[in-house]
Amino acid sequence: MAFSTETWVQAAAFLGAGFSVGFGAIGAALGEGYAAGNASRAIGKNPAMSGPILKNMLIGQAVAESAGIFALVIAMLLAFMNVEGAPMIEAWALLGSGLAMGLSAIGSGAGGGFPAAEACLGIADNPSTQGALTTNMLIGSAVSQTPAIFGMVVAFMLMFIDWSGQPLWPGWAAVLGAGLSVGLAAIGSGVGSGMPAGSATAGMARQPGAATTIRTNMLIGSAVSQTPAIFGLVVAFMLMFVDWSSSPPWPTWAALLGAGLSTGLSAIGPGIGNGFTAQEASAGIARVPEASGPVTTTMLIGQTVAQSTVIYGFLVSLILLFIPRGASESMVAWVAPLSAGICMGFGGIGPGVGEGLAAAYTVNRIARNYEEVGVLLTRVMLVGQAVSESTGIYSLIVALLLLFVI
Amino acid sequence: MQELTNIPHWYLSLGGYRLEFNSETLIMSWLVMAVLVVFGFLATRKLSFLPGPWQTLGEMMVSAFHGLVADALDEHNRHYFPLIITVFLFIWLSNMLGVIPGLSEPTKDLNTPLAYGLMGFAISHYAGIKTKGIKAYLNEYVQPMFFMAPLNIIGELSKVVSISFRLYGNIMGGSIIILVVSDLVYGLILPPALNAFFGLFVGTIQAFVFTMLTLVYISVQTK
Amino acid sequence: MAIEGADLVRAAALMGAGISMGLGAIGPGVGEGFAAGKACEAIGRNPKEAGLLTRTMLVGQAVSESTGIYSLVVALLLIFVV
Repeated sequence: MAFSTETWVQAAAFLGAGFSVGFGAIGAALGEGYAAGNASRAIGKNPAMSGPILKNMLIGQAVAESAGIFALVIAMLLAFMNVEGAPMIEAWALLGSGLAMGLSAIGSGAGGGFPAAEACLGIADNPSTQGALTTNMLIGSAVSQTPAIFGMVVAFMLMFIDWSGQPLWPGWAAVLGAGLSVGLAAIGSGVGSGMPAGSATAGMARQPGAATTIRTNMLIGSAVSQTPAIFGLVVAFMLMFVDWSSSPPWPTWAALLGAGLSTGLSAIGPGIGNGFTAQEASAGIARVPEASGPVTTTMLIGQTVAQSTVIYGFLVSLILLFIPRGASESMVAWVAPLSAGICMGFGGIGPGVGEGLAAAYTVNRIARNYEEVGVLLTRVMLVGQAVSESTGIYSLIVALLLLFVI
Repeated sequence: MQELTNIPHWYLSLGGYRLEFNSETLIMSWLVMAVLVVFGFLATRKLSFLPGPWQTLGEMMVSAFHGLVADALDEHNRHYFPLIITVFLFIWLSNMLGVIPGLSEPTKDLNTPLAYGLMGFAISHYAGIKTKGIKAYLNEYVQPMFFMAPLNIIGELSKVVSISFRLYGNIMGGSIIILVVSDLVYGLILPPALNAFFGLFVGTIQAFVFTMLTLVYISVQTK
Repeated sequence: MAIEGADLVRAAALMGAGISMGLGAIGPGVGEGFAAGKACEAIGRNPKEAGLLTRTMLVGQAVSESTGIYSLVVALLLIFVV
């Protein structure tokens, strides 16, 4: 049975719409549910404040909902799009558009729930800080929407740029890979940048006097947690805007898809790991505001090391994108680059999370007792991180073997 | 669903260039400006110790925002206060316009939030250079290590993208949802409730978020 | 395009190598990081025992690394032997 190109494009648009709002709803629902659960706990603790807590919960949920609303917008645009006369590559671009928006909304929606929940609990414990907590919750929650906004930007580009100049092979892999790269990379960063917002809000309820110091640390921590998503965005732009028509379709398409997966997947771990570290840093500064200098320094060192796996992923993506491959239609020639991308992508997740955890515990202890243990702990942390990095390095080695040896 | 892609245009030929304007956005922005100018006039004429209704409203807004700005900025940078409150009033009023039938939000057009985002970006970096000096300012881009400089620059630029797309996405999202739901239920019952949620509630929150983020960007740069 | 049997087997082995090392790296990565974190926490509480705790941490990490090394061995076997 043969279908016209228009039918395929229309089908892809509907499928993309489903992916967009289907994946996008996961995070927002989790985040809002977490906020509601903690609001109930807060009202249980301090029933007299139920009115302000309820109001705060609704405001926080409305911001956490943004990611879900973005996903809905993209889904609506895809569903009602005019596909008349669109070339076949448009089908893949629309599919990529839905995936970029849907996947990237998962993390941001869930991340937005942390500050909302902590603000509700904080109002119950310390009603006088209500205004400051709501303001900080709004800022933190809005900042953690940034990865979803990266996804939305790429989704708009995939939807509205005219792709008819690109050949279907290997162009389809470029547009699909761009969507996957930014979408997957945003998951970890979205969750990760919500974590410091949550602990900073909780800390402000305990130490209203140190609010400015805590907020500065929260913003730095969130910004660093978003770096992995920026790597994903950069790879998506490369996939979209470099001209692939002169490279041999086989096996370039596999390299393009592998490049998207490598950076996208490997960014998930460092995003979450950096979030853990920033969370403990904000909590630590809230406990001991005088320690903000050493704590912020240790946090940045720990986060930079934890980001190394996404840098490996980015490296593999660059190799896949820009080192030319000879035309070959054998199966090995296209499986190898795809496998390299998947290997480095998954391989970056674990070490990223683990190194972030190591830095988180270290930061927690340095905040309590920085004069005595600061240097010692930083040294042990770096040793521990270097060891847990090893599996990430094995993945890099296998990926490079797959690319260059066979 | 034609409304989604149908944008009213004004064209102007100037020195060989063909300029295109979105007439709806322009007219609505002028409307917001006119309302704000009239309000400013009413609230500040005839200032008295026992304030009239307009003056009371103005004083309430100023005192609400003054505390927030005082928390975030040190004494040398308090002069950004009028900017912050103006950004809030303009965006808030813009978001409210959509509730009135026949009018539409200028913030629904990406160009409006983008202009405000770029303005906030330029002002925050100017404030940063002025407070810290050009050397300390540039030094921040090579933290924690020199090879992170390209990422730091992309990170700074992504602030403009995120702040403007956040506002645009929320307001555009609200109006698309209202449009689709109205289409499905033939304008019965539901749309007023949705208008109240997306126009009044989300509109207010997003205006506040945009303002606070502009303030935070300035405050981070001047630290 | 005709796919030959040997080509298919080789391609499957390469894909298997990538998946084996990729997924195999997740667990040890998280686990070793957790061990390092807990060790730092303990040293923070009791800095005098830093030497002992660091040694314990390294031994524990080496053991939890073993599954990652199995994955590496399998991946190398798939690439070079099959």
